Amino acid sequence: MSLQAWVRRTRTPEPAAVEREIAVIEPADLFDFEAQDDPDASPVLCCTGDGAGAAAFGVLWLKRIAGSGRYAAAVSVRGQGNTPAAPGGVEAYVHDVVQAAIAIPRRAVLVGHGRGAAWTALAAARYPADALVLVAPQKLPKSLPKPVGDPRVLLVVSESEAQSKQTQAVTDAYGVAPLTFPGASEDVFKGPGAEGLLDAILSWLNRKD
Amino acid sequence: MQEYSSQAAYDRGEAVCVIGAGASGLIAVKNLRENGFEVDCYERDTVLGGLWNPQNQHSPLYPNTHLVTSRSQTEIPDYPMPDHWPDYPSAARMLEYLKGYAAHFGLAEHIWYGSEISHIEPVEGSRFEVVVKPAAGSAARRLRYGAVIVATGHHWVPNLPSYPGQDLFRGTVLHSSQLKDGSRLRGKSVLVVGGGNSGIDIACEAAVNADRCVHSVRRGYWYLPKYLGGEPADYALARLHNRPRWIRSLLTNRILKGHRHLSARMGMEAPDHSHTDEEPIRNGRYLEHVGDGSIEHRPEIAHFEGGEVAFADGETVRPDVVVFATGYKPKIGCVPAGLLGVDGESEYPKLLARMFSPRVETLAVAGLIEPGVGVLPIVHWQTHAISHWLNIRKGDPERAANFRQQVVSESAQYEVDSTGISPRHRLAVDAEEYLAGLVRIIDTLEQEPAK
Ligand SMILES: Cc1cc2nc3c(=O)[nH]c(=O)nc-3n(C[C@H](O)[C@H](O)[C@H](O)COP(=O)(O)OP(=O)(O)OC[C@H]3O[C@@H](n4cnc5c(N)ncnc54)[C@H](O)[C@@H]3O)c2cc1C
Ligand SMILES: NC(=O)c1ccc[n+]([C@@H]2O[C@H](COP(=O)([O-])OP(=O)(O)OC[C@H]3O[C@@H](n4cnc5c(N)ncnc54)[C@H](OP(=O)(O)O)[C@@H]3O)[C@@H](O)[C@H]2O)c1
Repeated sequence: MSLQAWVRRTRTPEPAAVEREIAVIEPADLFDFEAQDDPDASPVLCCTGDGAGAAAFGVLWLKRIAGSGRYAAAVSVRGQGNTPAAPGGVEAYVHDVVQAAIAIPRRAVLVGHGRGAAWTALAAARYPADALVLVAPQKLPKSLPKPVGDPRVLLVVSESEAQSKQTQAVTDAYGVAPLTFPGASEDVFKGPGAEGLLDAILSWLNRKD
Repeated sequence: MQEYSSQAAYDRGEAVCVIGAGASGLIAVKNLRENGFEVDCYERDTVLGGLWNPQNQHSPLYPNTHLVTSRSQTEIPDYPMPDHWPDYPSAARMLEYLKGYAAHFGLAEHIWYGSEISHIEPVEGSRFEVVVKPAAGSAARRLRYGAVIVATGHHWVPNLPSYPGQDLFRGTVLHSSQLKDGSRLRGKSVLVVGGGNSGIDIACEAAVNADRCVHSVRRGYWYLPKYLGGEPADYALARLHNRPRWIRSLLTNRILKGHRHLSARMGMEAPDHSHTDEEPIRNGRYLEHVGDGSIEHRPEIAHFEGGEVAFADGETVRPDVVVFATGYKPKIGCVPAGLLGVDGESEYPKLLARMFSPRVETLAVAGLIEPGVGVLPIVHWQTHAISHWLNIRKGDPERAANFRQQVVSESAQYEVDSTGISPRHRLAVDAEEYLAGLVRIIDTLEQEPAK
């Protein structure tokens, strides 16, 4: 975020505060003695454009992320899941993601899916995410803002999207090569490919480089 | 020269030393780490948060301290406060916020507590030797760093006036930073001196707790409430900057008019400065207490006589307690004065763009400024600039030299025209102008290097 962008924001009305639904699973919650708890590993905060909000990550994602030793959280932005609707549009969704991030005890990785990827990309321009993961992004802004704090970025798209214009634009903006998965955008939450995809993301997060 | 231990200094290579773990020090550590620097932060006390932590010895907090700047104008730009907090959080919330910031970004592991820096000194050109004051019985430690950022704050040394006859006064005399507990005012006749935010807040405490409250100020101020036009006052005023200049001054006058009129009607001196020249007072209760007689507003003290205090207008009062809310003296004892541009007659540092040492390129000060708006965001952008500068200096000396020239020319702009009445306002800047200068400095630093 540039100083100018910050000044503009401080002179714009803040979106109305809502009580946000945030689902959390910590490694210790799993009662699984096999699971490693790595207190140094950054927490992960997920967000999707899907109306189910945090619940979309509940079945598979949060458990598996926690199983890998990380604090796992997902947020429902206003109007999703159990978070009440409130006006404000994209600006307010981004506000919700940033507010969820600062409520996490330590600097978090932001994972966004679908339209949620657009909100997390915008949130990462205000909050120094530990890493930014965009999964099957939709409706990304035309010009992607530079993330603050220089986080690592991972782009994950379906094979059919690998050559698309948008994918090209994102890889150019962040200087990264996409990771691809077979199937459609919804398949990231369930179905045979979902676990493998998630494990690929987790192993990218664990890479120390 | 002082005697330092004979053992050789421990060399920390290119690591940066940050002095102080208040808000400014914490923000500096975070931004330096983000730019890839190793950092050691030294804090003389045993806690972080600086003046917002009541456990810090000599913390200037008084009963019921709340922010005078609103949440959205005070929060650190990349780590907002929770949006369900009130518009003007308490000192306790401010501390919770700073602790959260430190935990979130893992800053604690870089802080050395109980470590007062007694002296720093340039060595080998642009490097620094830093002396940590010895704990009882042990030797002083000396370390070498690539750069130093001073973040020691400027609210630690009380500024105390003295009036004729004061030494014979037998009542209680306190500085605002010593008040701590409001019960000391209960049932007493209290005289509060000073028209800064401390004096106004304490007068309002005394208005409801003391038997009688007399408040003395030596000139005219802007008595603004915390809300204007249905919004937090600082936000309402800042928002007007979105408008063209002439409409802005029209609207500003319109929202300030009522309060100016009211204070004039109550017989207060008109301010001799614009409301952005120095920090305005932000307390909506003050004029109401004057209006209902629970605060008696008086001009400057003329002299003390026995148990009595006489004011310039001839009125007198017999106080049990006198609270001097007369502000602080900036003092950076651990840095040789010349490195901060302190010259003979003034004890105030003269820094380039209010942050860089005019002498050594690797010395900077964070937070030595009174912008009249939230201090934390200003310090964020200062330390953002300082960290980028240190990075460029390492990698690209030619660009660094150009940048240096720009900072020198920028700096000329923040010479504040002192009203001549009070040296205290030498740390004041017009936030709008200062931020515009920071934008130019940061833009220069972030330009793609010329190929
Ligand atoms: C009563 C009061 C109310 C205020 N209210 C507001 C407000 O509403 N909004 C706002 O924006 N600002 C406000 N301020 C301004 C305040 O100065 C800033 O908000 C901010 O706290 C400044 O932080 P700092 O880190 O620069 O200084 P400090 O908080 O003073 O921290 C300096 C730290 O350095 C340490 N230190 C000092 N010397 C040494 C040494 N030699 N070696 C090692 N450590 C050392 C100290 O122990 C301390 O921990 C207020 C100030 C006061 C006094
Ligand atoms: N709640 C809050 O958030 C809050 C509360 C308190 C303070 N603060 C901040 O903390 C800083 C310090 O505030 P402060 O109120 O303690 O100090 P201050 O702003 O420096 O105010 C000191 C007051 O004492 C007067 N004074 C100084 N020397 C005097 C003398 N010899 N004789 C008579 N009067 C004298 C000054 O008059 P002149 O103006 O003529 O010099 C001024 O009115 C400021 O930045 C302030 O905004 C914030």
